[in-house]
Formats: sequence, structure tokens, C-alpha cells
Amino acid sequence: MKKILALILALAMVFCLAACGSSSDSDSDGDASSASSAGSSATEEEGSSSEAEASEAEASEADAETSSDVDYSDLNLGIFWYSFSDTFLSTVRASLDDLLDEAGITYTDYDGNGSQTTQNESITTALTNGCNLLLVNLVESGSEDAAQSIIEEAASYGVNVIFYNRTIEADGNEGALLNAYDNVGFLGTDAPEAGHIQGQMIGEYLVENYDSLDLNGDGVISYAMMKGQEGNAEAIYRTQYGVEDANAVLTEAGYPELEYFDSSNTSLYQVDANGAWSASAATEFMQTNLSQYSEANGNMIELVICNNDDMAAGVVTALQAAGYNNGEGTTTIPVFGVDATDTAKELIANGYMTGTVSQSNTGYAYGLKYIVDQLVSGATPTEAAAALAADSSEYTFTLAEGIDCKVYMAYSSYTGE
Amino acid sequence: MNNPVKSLRQTSERYKAMDAKDRRGFLVDTLLNNAIYIILIVFVIFTYTQNHNIISKSSIINIISLTASSLPMALGIGGCIVLTGTDLSAGRTVGLTAAISATLLQSLTTANKFFTNLGEVPLVLVLLLALLVGGLVGLVNGFFVARFQLHPFIVTLATQLIVYGICLLYYMSHDNNGQSISGLSDAYKNAITGSVISKLTGGALVIPNYVIYAVIVLIVMWFIWNKTTFGKNMFAVGSNAEAANVSGVNVFFTTLMVHTLAGITYGYTGFIEAARIGSNTANTGLNYECDAIAACVIGGVSFVGGTGTIGGVVLGVFLLRIIFVGLNFLSVSGNMQYIIKGAIILLACSIDMRKYLTRK
Repeated sequence: MKKILALILALAMVFCLAACGSSSDSDSDGDASSASSAGSSATEEEGSSSEAEASEAEASEADAETSSDVDYSDLNLGIFWYSFSDTFLSTVRASLDDLLDEAGITYTDYDGNGSQTTQNESITTALTNGCNLLLVNLVESGSEDAAQSIIEEAASYGVNVIFYNRTIEADGNEGALLNAYDNVGFLGTDAPEAGHIQGQMIGEYLVENYDSLDLNGDGVISYAMMKGQEGNAEAIYRTQYGVEDANAVLTEAGYPELEYFDSSNTSLYQVDANGAWSASAATEFMQTNLSQYSEANGNMIELVICNNDDMAAGVVTALQAAGYNNGEGTTTIPVFGVDATDTAKELIANGYMTGTVSQSNTGYAYGLKYIVDQLVSGATPTEAAAALAADSSEYTFTLAEGIDCKVYMAYSSYTGE
Repeated sequence: MNNPVKSLRQTSERYKAMDAKDRRGFLVDTLLNNAIYIILIVFVIFTYTQNHNIISKSSIINIISLTASSLPMALGIGGCIVLTGTDLSAGRTVGLTAAISATLLQSLTTANKFFTNLGEVPLVLVLLLALLVGGLVGLVNGFFVARFQLHPFIVTLATQLIVYGICLLYYMSHDNNGQSISGLSDAYKNAITGSVISKLTGGALVIPNYVIYAVIVLIVMWFIWNKTTFGKNMFAVGSNAEAANVSGVNVFFTTLMVHTLAGITYGYTGFIEAARIGSNTANTGLNYECDAIAACVIGGVSFVGGTGTIGGVVLGVFLLRIIFVGLNFLSVSGNMQYIIKGAIILLACSIDMRKYLTRK
């Protein structure tokens, strides 16, 4: 008996190993070889390029060279992600890994696993291990204390920190950290912008289709709002502006403002209790809502706004189970998300979902790699930011007002190709 | 099974024979022992006074569907708790099996196919695979618990991490880069979220198919727990492993199988969840085990071991789901839900332990 069990267990282990082996994780391969090939020609460039940084206007020209001429041999890059399970950031990670592999850069991806403590510990470990450039996707978005301790720790090693994607400063306190330290930069999106674009898109869509969307004919569109997480700056702005900007467009066109479907809910949103922006939370909320609000009762939810595409996809599933959003012949409730994940794009292509806000994963990867190149060539974070903002690639980067080391990547609305 | 009318009559006769002090004690005991039922009824009545919709047909169907979605997993974990253990790997195992099910059952026309050249795969095959993978995780759990006498908390914490890691790698593989998996085939979606009952009743009762499956799982689990030697052994090992061993029960095998059975229910849950949610990420299944463990504890499956009933687990799951739906109907924020859940767990466990304390 025991022998059989031991055999089964051994098979289980083999299965596990096989599962690990099949994945395409290629962090470590090819570092040394390509680094040395790029190495010899780059040394002479070093001095001139750091001076040239001041005249960033012509940076686009220099850019073409940086990719091949930068010497990465001394670079030991640490990239700290807030969570490996985040859908959008996983695509950024894949794009960035590709770029870094191509350039032969030595780097390590760390998973913060949703815990700031874990992330701080990884950073300390990496720094003691000789890591000399940090890219940090802060776990506690908007937490200045968390960011500050990382910046100061890095400064004590003389290391630059580039934060990306998740904001590090509290609302209304922008520049408190980024302007106070020399060794820090930021590449992200302007947190309110996604909400603004989503709201604008929703408003325009509603004005165009108002009468067909007002299912019960009471002249008012009732909406549901799925919030991804409490206390996250992006979630707060998206929740706020997604509605406010839509209302602005509606009012201008002479329509009444949106009305939250549940008049006794004063928070005006439903939030994923795990803070995971998850499809399952959205599905369960929407399924529960639909058990009470329906066309038959004359109080159907006529619009669903979601903080991200995972939640939007979850809402679509619940709507489909209730007989809506199944394509032609069924009533389609407009559902809006943010991120433009492949899932959302396909839902939109099939007509099950209406719109999303796109932020480009390859754009992020491009921007981060660009900044790394600049820093390795001897630029300061501020100079690197200015160079990126002046760069004329297919992605649009702009400098934040009043903060010279903060670069925004533009969002755009997406309603199908 | 006793005749309920007869036992009620017996109770009333006993009650009549008591003196005043005993009667008071009896009433307090009865009230406390049934506190969960009382809370449930009071909560429903309160919600009803605020919002009549909670008793509507569609709302009841919703509550039943939600209960059915998390019941099988709770039944699996229930077995582990009967053995005085627990299982933390449940949620992540659901995540992995959901990923496997979803990737194998994407529609052929979807733009973001995980296995690009994969044709149509029979549903049953994928279900079996999901059960197998889930069962395998359970088997590993059970083996380490039984062979090395490790506490299940430690073992399943370890497997939780391992399974999550595999799940992340799986999502990053095949150029998927961590994107969510969706675009499931119609056959799959219809089999899970479609409604045969709706067709039979002419659209009057739109109860999704996974409710039927959950009932089948429930019956199977009831049979295993109550009518098989394995079930009896499980309770014996849970009460006192040494005594069970002396009495000729194979403790190793029983522990192994209880965990494997639990793993199989996670595999099943993963197969259902993938279609029920429709869009799967590495986060699918996150924290599911917390609700399942809470449901078992509320339903009287004691961490002391050796006690618990299938009916109790059903009640526990049902109560948690009623609270979720009820608070939504009352427009109470999700924050309150944590507090109420926590309070109920504390209350249920205290009442549960009280029985043991008075017995001593």
C-alpha cells in the first residue's frame, strides 16, 4: 500500500516539475553574452552623452543609438512588482522582460504579492546584493511613507529609484517626494485621466443612444458602479470621474444626470471586499443586483461602469446569465471598463461590452527601458524624464506640471478597432 | 432518524416534568444551541422589513445559486476540519483548476486562444482532468499530513504557495503573459450557467445548472459521510486518532483520502467557477478557503474534531450567502460584512465549545 502511495506521490512531484518547466520564464538567459557584445563600443559614448542630455530636444536622434550603444555590464536592475497576479501589469512585465532580454541586461523581477512589507524586504535584500537601479511598482499606492523609506534606503546606497504605474504621493500633495529627492523618478499615468476619458466616452455614448438605453422610459439612466479597491488613488478617481464627466456631457446635451440604481446606497458604488479588482466579485454583485432590478420590474440597471476590465468581464458574465448582452436579439446593457485587456477587446468586438480605456503595456515597457538607458548613460532621473517626454516614438509621454522627474503616459479610449 | 413529531412530544413531556429552575436552564440551552437558526431568521425578517425584494422569486434563486457555487468546496474542507485539520490550499487549487478548465474549453473562434491549435475538447474529459489535478493536490496534502504527522495548517500553507506559483507560471506561459482567460465555448457555458430547469418550466424558474450539480455533489458527500465505512472512519479518526488506530482503522489511509476527497471538490469548484465567472485570472479563487472554513465552523463542524454534519455545512454556507445578499439589499457597505461575519464566527464557535465545556 505504502509503496503504491509513494509511487503516486512521486508522479505528483514529476507533474509539478513538468508544469514548472513548461513555462517560458527566461529571466536569466543571455545576460552575459549580449552584454559583452554591447560593452566595448559604449565606453567612449559615456562622457559625451551625459552632457548632451541637457539639450533633450534632439533626444529622439540619440534614442536610436542608445538601444545598441549603452554599456549594461555594470547594471544590476531590480524590478519590483506589486503583484504578479495583476492582469495588466503581467503584460507590462512580459513586454519589459522581452526588451531587457534583448538588450542583455541583468535584471530580476520581484513579486510584492500585494504586501508593502514583502516589497520593502525584497528591496533591502536586492540592495545588499548589489542591485544598482530600482524600478518600483509601489504596493501601497499613494503611500508617501512607504515610498520615502524606499527612496532613502536607495539613496544611502547611491542608487536611483524609478517608480512606475502606481502613484507614490497622496492626492493634493504631488511633488512632496519627487521634488525633494534627486535619486527618484516616476513613470505612470495621470491617475484621474482614465476616469476622465472613461466618463467622456460614456457621456458621448449615452447622448448618441439615449432613448434606446433608457429601458423604462423614465428619462433617466440608472447606473451601477464596480469599484476595484478601497483607498486606491486610481480606483477613487475612476469611480468619481467616470460618473462626473459623463454627467457633464449629458447636461451639456440637455439630458438629466445619471442616477445610481440603488437609491438607498449612499456610497454610490459596490467594492471588491478583497481589494483585488476581481471578476468574481463583480459577477456576484451584479448577479445579486439583477435578482432585484430587472426590465420586468421596470427598474433595470441601464449602464454599468467598472474600474477595470476584469470587473467589466465579470459583469458581462452576470448579465449574460440573466439573458442580457448575448448579441443580436437581446437587450445590451452598456458596460465600460479600463485597461483594454485582450478579454475586453474581444468582448467589445463581439458587442457584449461597450468600451474601455486603453493604457499601453508596450508603451510602459518602452518608457521604462528608455529611462534605464538614460540613467545607465549617466543622466539624472530628471534628465531622463525630460528626454523621454521629448522622445517622439509611437507612444505619447508628457512631463507632469511642476514636477520635472514625473512622466505621464497617455491613455486613450477604446471602443473596438 | 427519529420521528420529529414523536421526539417533539418526548421533549415536551420531559419539559413538563422539570421544576422551574431546570425549565429556565432548558430554555436558555435550547435558545443558545439554535442561535444560528434564530440569527438567520431574525436577519431575514429584518431585511424583509427594509426591502421586500429579498423574499422575491429571483432573489431566492440568486441566494440558492450563490450557495450552490460555494457549497462543494465547503463540504470538502469540512472533512479536513472533522480531522481537526484545515485546508488553506483550497482557494489557489480552485484558481489552478479554473485556469486549466478555461484554457482547455475556450471557443474555437476566440481571438485570444491559450492553446492556439487545440480543437474541441470533450467537457467530461476536462472535468475529469480538473478533478484529477485537484485530487492530486489533496493527495499531496494528505500524504504529508498522514506520513509525517505535520499539522495540516503547515502542509496546506506550503501547497497553497506551490499551487499559486504554478498557477502564475501557467498564466504567463503560451505567450499569454498573465492575461485573463475568457472566450469560453458555448457548450461549456451552457452546461454550467445555462438552465435546464428553465426549459422544463417554460422560463418560470431560471435556476442555473450548477445548482443541480451542487445538489448531486451534496447527495454524494452525504452518502460518503453517513453511509460508508470511510465516512465512519473519518469521524473516528477525528475524535481520537489513537483510539481509531487501536480499533483497526487505517488512520494513514483515512487521512490521505479525506484530503484527496477535499482536493477533488476544489477541482470540481474550479471547473464550475471558470464558467460561472467567465473571465479567469491568477487571482481566481483568492480567499475562497476563508469563506468555506467559516461556513463549516458556523455550521457546527468543530475544530475539536470528530463532529459535524453535512446539513450544518449547508446551513453555514447558506447563512454567509444570505448575509452577503442581505447586506447588499440593505445597501450596507462591504466593510460591515467583515464585522458581521467575524461576530457570527465568534458566536458560533463559542456556542459550539460551550456544549463540550458543559459536558465535562
